[in-house]
Amino acid sequence: MNFLALFARNLTKGPYTEPFPFAPAPTAKRFRGKIEFDAETCEGCRLCERVCPAGAIRMTRTAEGMTFDCWHDSCVFCGNCEFHCPTKSIHQTADWHLAHTQDQKFLMVEHALIPNQICAECGKEALATAPATRTVTPPLSPTETQHLKALCPKCRAKFIRARKAAA
Amino acid sequence: MLASFRELAVKSPWIYRINAGSCNGCDVEMATCALIPRYDIERLGCQYCGSPRHADIVLISGPLTRRVLDAARRVFDEIPDPKVTVAVGVCPISGGIFRESYAVLAPIDQYFPVDVNVPGCPPRPQAIIEGVAEAIEVWRQRL
Ligand code: SF4
Ligand code: SF4
Ligand code: SF4
Repeated sequence: MNFLALFARNLTKGPYTEPFPFAPAPTAKRFRGKIEFDAETCEGCRLCERVCPAGAIRMTRTAEGMTFDCWHDSCVFCGNCEFHCPTKSIHQTADWHLAHTQDQKFLMVEHALIPNQICAECGKEALATAPATRTVTPPLSPTETQHLKALCPKCRAKFIRARKAAA
Repeated sequence: MLASFRELAVKSPWIYRINAGSCNGCDVEMATCALIPRYDIERLGCQYCGSPRHADIVLISGPLTRRVLDAARRVFDEIPDPKVTVAVGVCPISGGIFRESYAVLAPIDQYFPVDVNVPGCPPRPQAIIEGVAEAIEVWRQRL
């Protein structure tokens, strides 16, 4: 565009400058920003922790279950965790408002807990993760998935084997 | 007199950039803040200056490589007090992608008194502007 055309456009369209910080800044829907984690759908495979190049994610076994922590002060917004997560329980939001003063450092954490539960079949204590059901054929019904979620890993495997044998 | 000077001073904080071994990603975004009319950080009265002696707010990017430590310290000490330090990018904050490398000294708050952190790799220009706005607030209290 030559100078005159630009000049004419600026005259008619007004200033090109974004009003931020005096008004919200436009953000693309797919902007790769702050990490968000959903403990409900997480399978507890810990792939995200393993693939994170910045070591921003840590999952730890505690007495109550397994905790998930992602430090926004370490995350490099690469999207590796989201790419590899089989359930997309971890994903990047379009939120980039992360600037903070020094006293807040390392306090901006995405924290969640995958609690322990008592297995509905054998009564053993195990993590209440979402069951990995993508490869199961035929696909599980919602009630079956619900039932599977209440079981421990061993009983889950038993259930799936029995289902396969029946099919 | 001093009070009115304070009022005026916070309207025009000058910015200086120190690249402490950054990959240039953050530096490009910092330059973008001022050079491109879309972001235009000069609306906040900020201006990048060529000499550390004129600066009020210093933006540091990069994980502070061992080789750059002395130079960065020298430049940092040239900036008159009171100054406000902003760490731009996850590199200076935690080391980011270079964390635990033998060649870097991140986090830089072990070496420089950091006031504001702007995480991101690199943070988008608006995030840097947000950080600078916070830095101006800190500076106002410090003057
Ligand atoms: S968030 Fe995804 S990748 Fe991480 S443990 Fe849960 S299911 Fe696995
Ligand atoms: S986006 Fe990248 S750096 Fe951030 S938590 Fe995920 S894998 Fe780690
Ligand atoms: S935070 Fe990312 S973009 Fe900025 S200097 Fe470090 S590696 Fe480069």
